[in-house]
Amino acid sequence: MLLKIISSLKLTVWLLVLSLVLVFFGTLDQVHFGIRATQQKYFESVIALWQYPLQWPLGESLHWIHFPIPGGYLIGPLLLVNLIAAHATRFVLRWNKAGIYIIHLGLILLLLGQLNTQLFQEENYMWVEEGKSANYLESHHHDELIITDITDPKVDGVVSIPIDLIDKQPTSLQHPRLPFRVETKAFYPNAAIVQRRHLTEKLPEMIFNRGLGREKDFVVWERPMTYMQDERNVTTAIIELVGTEGSLGIWLVSNVFDEKFPHQHFKYEERDYEIALRIKRTYLPYKIELIDFTHDRYMGTDIPKNFSSKVRIVNPQSSEDRQTLIYMNHPLRYKGRTFFQAAFDQQTEKSSMFQVVNNPGWLIPYISCGMISIGLIFQFGYRFIKSSGNKN
Amino acid sequence: MKKAITLSLILFGILYIGRSLVPPRYNPAIEVEQFAQLPLLYKGRLKPMDTTARNALLIIHGKQTFKDKSGERISAIEWLMDLTMRSDVADNYKVFYASHPDILGLFNIPHEKAADFKFNFSFNELLPHLEEIERQAKLANPEAQLRTPYERSILKLRQDLVLYQQLAHSLTSPQFVSSLKEEYQVYLGLMPEGVRAFNQQQAGEDHNEDALNHFMSFAHRYQILSETAAFSIIPPRMGSPDSTYWQSTGQSLIETIMTGKIDEVVLAYAGVIDAYRSENHGDFNATLTDLQTLIDKRNNTGWNSFRSEYIFNYFSPFYLSLTIYVLVFILVCISWLVWPDTLGRAAYWLLILAFSVHTLGLLARIFIQGRPPVTNLYSSAVFVGWGAVLFSVILERIYRNGIGSAVAALLGFCTLLIAHHLGGSGDTLEMMQAVLDSNFWLATHVVTVTLGYSATFLAGFLGLIYICRGFLTKSLDNSTALAIYRMVYGTVCFALLFSFVGTVLGGIWADQSWGRFWGWDPKENGALLIVIWNVLVIHAILGKMVLQRGLMILVVVGNIITSWSWFGTNMLGVGLHSYGFTDSAFFWLTLFWLSQFIFIAIGLLPHGYWRSRLVVSE
Repeated sequence: MLLKIISSLKLTVWLLVLSLVLVFFGTLDQVHFGIRATQQKYFESVIALWQYPLQWPLGESLHWIHFPIPGGYLIGPLLLVNLIAAHATRFVLRWNKAGIYIIHLGLILLLLGQLNTQLFQEENYMWVEEGKSANYLESHHHDELIITDITDPKVDGVVSIPIDLIDKQPTSLQHPRLPFRVETKAFYPNAAIVQRRHLTEKLPEMIFNRGLGREKDFVVWERPMTYMQDERNVTTAIIELVGTEGSLGIWLVSNVFDEKFPHQHFKYEERDYEIALRIKRTYLPYKIELIDFTHDRYMGTDIPKNFSSKVRIVNPQSSEDRQTLIYMNHPLRYKGRTFFQAAFDQQTEKSSMFQVVNNPGWLIPYISCGMISIGLIFQFGYRFIKSSGNKN
Repeated sequence: MKKAITLSLILFGILYIGRSLVPPRYNPAIEVEQFAQLPLLYKGRLKPMDTTARNALLIIHGKQTFKDKSGERISAIEWLMDLTMRSDVADNYKVFYASHPDILGLFNIPHEKAADFKFNFSFNELLPHLEEIERQAKLANPEAQLRTPYERSILKLRQDLVLYQQLAHSLTSPQFVSSLKEEYQVYLGLMPEGVRAFNQQQAGEDHNEDALNHFMSFAHRYQILSETAAFSIIPPRMGSPDSTYWQSTGQSLIETIMTGKIDEVVLAYAGVIDAYRSENHGDFNATLTDLQTLIDKRNNTGWNSFRSEYIFNYFSPFYLSLTIYVLVFILVCISWLVWPDTLGRAAYWLLILAFSVHTLGLLARIFIQGRPPVTNLYSSAVFVGWGAVLFSVILERIYRNGIGSAVAALLGFCTLLIAHHLGGSGDTLEMMQAVLDSNFWLATHVVTVTLGYSATFLAGFLGLIYICRGFLTKSLDNSTALAIYRMVYGTVCFALLFSFVGTVLGGIWADQSWGRFWGWDPKENGALLIVIWNVLVIHAILGKMVLQRGLMILVVVGNIITSWSWFGTNMLGVGLHSYGFTDSAFFWLTLFWLSQFIFIAIGLLPHGYWRSRLVVSE
């Protein structure tokens, strides 16, 4: 009985209805929460709770309306089970069904491939200036706390602490390579940082007593997180370092300091250190140099027609040193990563940004979609020929 | 007798199309037609004067022609000729439109009086209010979505005025001089002395103040001209290193300071303008021919589609086929009541005629633009209609019951009507955004996905015909119902095939360009919805969850889903595909959805309420 339900076409149809609902609301919410947050909430979850948006008509009075929507991680597996059960119970090897088997096999592969992508795909970016090179990627959404021992000018002893280890307050953390403990006094997923002299209202004294926060007399307060595609959260923390003889001081760190100010420096037990909260980096065993960035405009206008970057890949491991061109619709695929032309510095037109994607299963959709397409053409073609044969 | 009716109807269609091929009639004394084909560069695309004139008048006035004081109809190109060469005449044409009561209040014009001339104003009538319009436009909310209707109207009016001014400065300065040719010669004569005085002044030396001032008054005038001009009319010189560098008159005249020579095309234009201003028809035609020869000589980029585009403009194939589709639909509907064979055959052949014109228009666009058929929302509407009509013609060939013709005419009409309204916002052959600039993927992914829309809409409209005929008439008998059922089933299969393959091709494009196959972008999700819906319909049939009527209701729901993916997703303003959207589109989309819900409700009524008594057998 249960098997009958699990393998039934009725279940298929209802699951399809639910996936329509999921995709529809997962699109609608993107207006207010951006693609990424919505993707996590709907397609990478078991159940999502939809809420009537404030911005809609009567939003003020209807905002309380919630209703649950089954997420991608619920519908996907159920569809898989339904599909496999249906084939297991009703399988007959016949020519006129061959298309259906190929379609469904391709579909199983497609669903598994999408799961694989959602779990393992990484998206980062890389900025390179003309004439310079870069050997690391930066994350769109993740940050890290960095404490570097710079005493020896030849070797940097970098300690990277992922944000999710310090984002609860209070947290106390002892890293084996650091002679002091790291304690989170405050953590802001998104913050406003302003110098006190720019403020008209009186705000309470801040607790940090070392580094930039003290020097510039910054005031920090929390802001709601942003999900917009072209905005980034200002991840900010107030960190106290505690040695054996007590506190070394309290620092303000934020991912917006990196490009604006010099690193925050301090001394402890005759050694020099730097502390920073920065955009999470992934170092590569090779480097990419930007030789030249060019872009054309449509004649007589400022509308860009195309962008392209001439780059040089230098890989000491494989002793590679070659030039290549990255441009619209023509990314560079190198060592499992895809670099594609994503943006450029609008003012100088001298630096280029590449979106860098690492998706170990990138071939799966090609195979599965190929199978489904062939299956569809076979099945419909078979029917079409048969029915027109009947007519004559 | 019956044969005669069929033949005369078809003959009527042919004559109707033939009539549209006759060029429009202008003032016979001057070669308006030749002027209309002169090339220019505007918004990144080389096009004939005629296209610019039509698009500009469409934007400003909402129509491609208007009536002057004496009630005579003036075409877009004649208007542009007056505006660019004799703006004192054009400034009296009532081409601006403003009907918002608050704007009328601003001008101190009573509503009834404005209604007398249909809320149309001439530039001269607006002249006293320019400052106030400018001030009001500055006061408008900077956030476009939060603007009030009044703010939108005043901004639109200001935009129209700016465009109008730009056009007026595109051939020469609108200030009247008796001979432009002489003016340019004076300028050239003043140049050596003026440039010397200028250099001396810059170096802080003694200089001839008079010569400097005189020369600078010209230079200043041409500077304004070069900054204001809407489009560029001077083709690059022979052997110029940059073959895309077109100049406006002002730019070229400023450059004269460097070269010491006035570009011959500028001079030739001056001759044309002088002749036009003095209404010397013989001179006008002669100078125009000289100008054309000069421009042809510089033609080294291979642009030669101006004549085709000019013909395309007045032939307006899409509007033409739209009107024939209406006729076909009416004929088919009558044929279900009387003379099914005679009228049915006539309708079918008229449909073929309309479809040929539709196809011709599509091919002309491909030729002129050098791109696959679908490049923006406008062209997607044209193509969705084309695909749907193509599929329906095939269905009609197979079933021969008029239903294919009816649904073809209905879909052709609706989609071309949508296209007609989308086309009001400017050049429909506009340039592409850089990301989308790939002919291969436009030709494969976009075309296939759009054919998926066509097929899904076709299934949905077949469903509408089933429901309407069944509910309103007694003409839906069992065999017709079964035929429609089969047509829908087959169409859904094709819809699934096209929408799936199209979506997958889109994924491959995304993977090739951005390194990811799927990004949950609204437009991608929209395509996915169509695929899932078609899969659902097929499984519901196979699982016997729906019979005939159930299937019809499902495919009507498909209309709602398809229109959501087609237009709704663009309105969200998120992601890579968010292009082209107007406020009024939302209104019409909502209305369409509402109508579909009503049809669904009718479809759900118990059998007793339907006029056709169907015995549903499997």
